[in-house]
Amino acid sequence: MMALQDPDPRAIDGHAPDVFSRDGTVPMRQFSDREEVDFAIVGTGCGGGVLAAKLAEAGFSVVAFDAGAFWWPLSDFASDERAQDKLYWLDPRISEGDDPLEFGQNNSGRSVGGSSVHFQMVALRFRPEWFRSRSLLGYAVDWPVDWREMWHYYDEVERACAISGPVTYPWGPKRHYPYRAHEVNAAGQVLARGAEALGVPWAPTPLATVSAPRGKSPPCVYRGMCKIGCSTNAKQSVLVTYIPRALDAGAEIRDLAMVGRIETDKGRATGVEYHRAGQWRFQRARNVVCAGYSIETPRLLLNSANARQPGGLANSSGTVGRYLMAHLNDAVWGVMDDEIRWYKGPPSMACCEHWNYIDDHPDKDFDGGYSFMSQGPLPTDFARMLVTNEGVFGTELRRQMALYNRMAGLKMVGETIPQADNRVTLADEIDDFGLRRARVTYSYCDNDRRMQRHARDFMARMLGAAGGRDLLETGSTAHLMGGCRMGNDPETSVTDSDGRTWDIPNLWVCDGSLMPTAGGVNPSMTIMANAARIADRITTLAAHGELDRAHG
Amino acid sequence: MVPAQEKSVRHPARNTSSRDWRSAALGIGALAALGGAALLMRRRTRLDPRRKIRQSAAAMGGSILADSAMEHLRGGFHNPAMYAAPALATLSMLGTTGNARAARPVHAAAVAVGAAGLGFHAYNILKRPGGVSWNNLFYAAPIGAPGGLAVTGILGLADAARTRDHGRLLAGFIALATLAEVAEVALLHFRGAWHNPAMVLPVTVPPATAALLLGQALHPRTTTRPLARSALRLMGAMGVIGTGFHIYGVSRNMGGWGNWRQTAFAGPPVPAPSSFTALALAGDAALDLIGGTP
Repeated sequence: MMALQDPDPRAIDGHAPDVFSRDGTVPMRQFSDREEVDFAIVGTGCGGGVLAAKLAEAGFSVVAFDAGAFWWPLSDFASDERAQDKLYWLDPRISEGDDPLEFGQNNSGRSVGGSSVHFQMVALRFRPEWFRSRSLLGYAVDWPVDWREMWHYYDEVERACAISGPVTYPWGPKRHYPYRAHEVNAAGQVLARGAEALGVPWAPTPLATVSAPRGKSPPCVYRGMCKIGCSTNAKQSVLVTYIPRALDAGAEIRDLAMVGRIETDKGRATGVEYHRAGQWRFQRARNVVCAGYSIETPRLLLNSANARQPGGLANSSGTVGRYLMAHLNDAVWGVMDDEIRWYKGPPSMACCEHWNYIDDHPDKDFDGGYSFMSQGPLPTDFARMLVTNEGVFGTELRRQMALYNRMAGLKMVGETIPQADNRVTLADEIDDFGLRRARVTYSYCDNDRRMQRHARDFMARMLGAAGGRDLLETGSTAHLMGGCRMGNDPETSVTDSDGRTWDIPNLWVCDGSLMPTAGGVNPSMTIMANAARIADRITTLAAHGELDRAHG
Repeated sequence: MVPAQEKSVRHPARNTSSRDWRSAALGIGALAALGGAALLMRRRTRLDPRRKIRQSAAAMGGSILADSAMEHLRGGFHNPAMYAAPALATLSMLGTTGNARAARPVHAAAVAVGAAGLGFHAYNILKRPGGVSWNNLFYAAPIGAPGGLAVTGILGLADAARTRDHGRLLAGFIALATLAEVAEVALLHFRGAWHNPAMVLPVTVPPATAALLLGQALHPRTTTRPLARSALRLMGAMGVIGTGFHIYGVSRNMGGWGNWRQTAFAGPPVPAPSSFTALALAGDAALDLIGGTP
């Protein structure tokens, strides 16, 4: 199904699409398969895209592969929800467990630029304590990284993406956004009124879409189609920020190039086998980086199993694929007296992180935190939600959809607990490339369910306080974290704090799968900040001649 | 596969850096040229200061008319009172061209409507969630804008100014009006994240000018008067260049001027910067009155 929608590869013959034009190109350096490049990066999203740009700028030779297409947003992105399914990874995966995950628009991108091409641009930071949630808050595990270091890189990536955020943010340590927050739309004002009624803080959501001109990006025009790909380039996705930087610095981007296997020899990675334009090829590389996100990165490592590493690459601890997390994405919807027209503007213009920063409260019966945002689902998305959650159809669906312009909603991003049995393994079925498909097992734990209940109750109270009637609850998940977590202990993690796998010194991971915990905020900024940090660490290691040395 | 192209890549792919130095340099160059010409310009025919004040009121009225008409149209005139601003700006502007005495009630009405407008705009800010918050100050009705209509009316009434003391009073008023406008510009250019370095010009040149003008109002020394006059000319030129920048700013919105029905409203207000030119003209007239020179 996907293959029908894909264009031919566009980053060819020494040129790549100029994303700021309708069909123009820019020069691109190219490497031959025989040339041993410094880094072959698998994936070009928030992890791989950032890493490719920074490593190329540091002078390394870089080839970054993406299974998806290289889009021209100005001409390729339609104001049509179905047409834009081309941005999602919809190739079948086997999903099972008590609470099987649904894959697609909420968690899986398939484009140069990765999921950031269709993300909702919510640019929040982790709470500092979450980097030591075991030591300080008594649940899950600590990150092998200090929060202050991450804070430095949040600053860096927020500048690189010109995040538009509030002048003063009510939670956590101070932060300065490069651009001012957007005007809060009516849907966001519903959250604001509710928060004020309940006496909790709220804020205009920091967003990765510019509120004033920025280079070739015009300011946001509030079309509201952000989630299906921004067709004006106001959205500061990796596709329009780091990818052009990578190209300028001499990196090669290979679009529509599905990496199927990492080859190793004598305990070292030697390159990647990839499928492009109808044939399998092999790119030699001194280092290989997996940046395919929480399903495809473990899948690639597992699919690359060989005689020496029969359980998959870098999997001596048995941790590859484990500790997969999704965010709870339950929502409460209500009918308002006034017209809201929630489709106007970015979908989540107001947010509340209240329960991310509360530890001791008699009502709080769960570990971890959650934030929630105002909502603006597009019509098909909302109709689908009504059908799947409420089972409504026919006249009743029509009646409820007729209320679309008067509806408002609050939706949580809730931190789930990392569990070893929530994992990615390989199914016996194979895909069109002959690769074994991913099998994803997912079940909530009791803590997850308590948080879910708490958030639904709290959001319902807030929506009611803002004047919402006929409240309706829906359940869902969003985002993926973990699956190849980093840590300080080779027995319980896949990589060290630099993203370097414990088992293979020149094999790295750099994406959301590294995250040991999920946090109660959208993960894109954390993934990008972590990638920016890893890029600097790699550059430092190389400068000290430690890139080739194994651990210990 | 094509072999590697060694370092032939220039820098075309990248989104240009967040600050638009090239257009800023162009604008500042234009300001230097126009401002320099204004500074060096000898006045061949000396205008009567009262005529200057009338011209200033007309220019201010024109700026307010266009700005309020556009912004209130953007707001859909959802409150009928929103028609008052462009209506009074029109009448006040027309009033400067005819019989001065007959136009006084019109100018007085403009002052009253402008003052009332401040109340309306404050209400618009306060009624939103968050009250006096950055988001509301940025995006609700602009807090100081109706003051421009009141300034128009006062300039219309200042037509009667004759004496040196009138000149000092006028200089003081123009200085304060300039500072008020600077405050509004600072707020809105901060909202625009100073994305163009030239956006700092209207928060640096006018305050310096206002200080010199205020100095003349309090201590009308002849030694500093030429400096004050030069500063006013620079500010006047800045209003013209600023209009150019705002026209360019509109073009940087999605669709550019070809999509003017959206971008002219969403982009920077093209009529706004010219109010600095109007204020500069009135300031110049005030200095004429202080110096006793027609």
